[in-house]
Amino acid sequence: MNNWLNHHLQALSLVLNRMRHHAWSTFMICLVIGVALCLPSLFYLGVDNLSKLADHMQQDTEISLFLKQDTDAATIQQIEQQLAKNDAIRHYHLVTKEEAWQQLKVKSESNQDLNGAIHALENNPLPDAFFIQAKSAVPDELETLKSALQNISGVEHALLNTEWVKRLATLLNLGEQFIFFIALLLAIVLLVIIGNTVRMQILTQKDEIEVSYLIGATNSFIRTPFLYAGMLYGLLGGLLAVAMMMFIIMTFNYSIADISHLYSSDFSLRLFNTELFITMVTTAAIIGWVGSYLAVSRAIANFKLS
Amino acid sequence: MIQFDQVTKRYPGSDEVLKNVSLRINAGEFVFVTGHSGAGKSTLLKLIAATERPTSGTVLIANQNVSQLKASAIPFLRRRFGLIFQDHKLLYDRSCFENVILPLRINGISGIEAAKRVRAALDKVGLLHKEKAMPITLSGGEQQRLAIARAVVSRPSILIADEPTGNLDASYAADILAIFYAFNQVGVTVVMATHDASCASTRQNRVLHLNQGLLTEQLLHPADLEENPASIEKFHYE
Repeated sequence: MNNWLNHHLQALSLVLNRMRHHAWSTFMICLVIGVALCLPSLFYLGVDNLSKLADHMQQDTEISLFLKQDTDAATIQQIEQQLAKNDAIRHYHLVTKEEAWQQLKVKSESNQDLNGAIHALENNPLPDAFFIQAKSAVPDELETLKSALQNISGVEHALLNTEWVKRLATLLNLGEQFIFFIALLLAIVLLVIIGNTVRMQILTQKDEIEVSYLIGATNSFIRTPFLYAGMLYGLLGGLLAVAMMMFIIMTFNYSIADISHLYSSDFSLRLFNTELFITMVTTAAIIGWVGSYLAVSRAIANFKLS
Repeated sequence: MIQFDQVTKRYPGSDEVLKNVSLRINAGEFVFVTGHSGAGKSTLLKLIAATERPTSGTVLIANQNVSQLKASAIPFLRRRFGLIFQDHKLLYDRSCFENVILPLRINGISGIEAAKRVRAALDKVGLLHKEKAMPITLSGGEQQRLAIARAVVSRPSILIADEPTGNLDASYAADILAIFYAFNQVGVTVVMATHDASCASTRQNRVLHLNQGLLTEQLLHPADLEENPASIEKFHYE
């Protein structure tokens, strides 16, 4: 156990020393890894936040319940009682035809043509209407609620505008698949980059490996430092990617704050996306380990003592 | 300790480098392997050190059949040997101390114990004052002594030296030989390949002479050499 620990500590300190001696090239390798990691992570961040935004908007989706023109106050009260009993409804409010008419008049004041047209009308053409917010934001459930409301007597028309939300959800789904493949391709790139880097290191340390073999080194003694090197490249590259991501998010948040302000929302990107960052770093470290394992195993299999 | 039984070695695409070689080296012996370059000396040593496997025949090292050893067991067999090469095979990117500590690292020895052993080994070859020097700054003889320190630091029971004095002038060569004799005195088996049989002139040694892959064995007495120097010549160019 002690021996084993010693072996690993020695390998680790050897690798750290080597990296310190070649700080610049180590940094360049980590930078390449970092950039390669950043790309899919940025895409992910974009799609993830868009889908959050979409959820956010879906919650604002209203069902508009337009009543028949000749509905009297008693019927309205009946409908209101039914709405109050319905569990799927978060809240609702009534806009009577007179209120709607007034609102329309106020809104159209600035528009000459519309204003003229409204004043030309003798009667109020608007119906009484309930505006309902459902508890659920799932399109299917909203659809069910809509048809239920449609069937209430006295209701002329129930309107639910979820089409664009559905389309957005489909697009986001597509985006997620896109990210998956980008991530897969970049993982292969990382594997090759790290594998190649380790292969070059093996070449430069050929003498040391040969001497070590001659004086009784086991394969694992030869392999361990390179595995640590690969893992550390991944780890440092991952940390670099996290730093870059945080910088990008911070820059983005300035512009997003402006836009959100226009929509009177406090939406912003999270600076510490812990799960994403942990995933990035561990994935990179694992890829580094695997890449160097493949490179070293190949080198060991081909190694000939002169 | 080391036993060859009808060992033949052929490299792919070449003639037999060793033909039907049988020999036995006991613990504590000091044996020279002589012959022209290309006579098979290095191959014989490589078979002992298990860096090569025989084409036919058996090689027994400490009663272990090398041909039947698993690849994973070979490193542990090699740790019984101290190997010394004509070209030293030192690592020039690190200090003398770091060169010598390598076998201990491989054996899992570290810390104060390792440092103590490294200094003891450097002291034995007279390089204690050079522990921080880089090997490239040492003379040829010093580099070879450093290689010996690395070979003995893990206290192997067998020293195998392939032409350790090949590139050195006579006085350095005598230094190296004296070091080997000192190790032999404390019980280390020494197998040394050399094309220069006069190395053996000071003491009585067994000489395994290889000629085109065939082994002839001879006991070389210092007295013989004094009486008949031509016998060395014969040895050389036979």
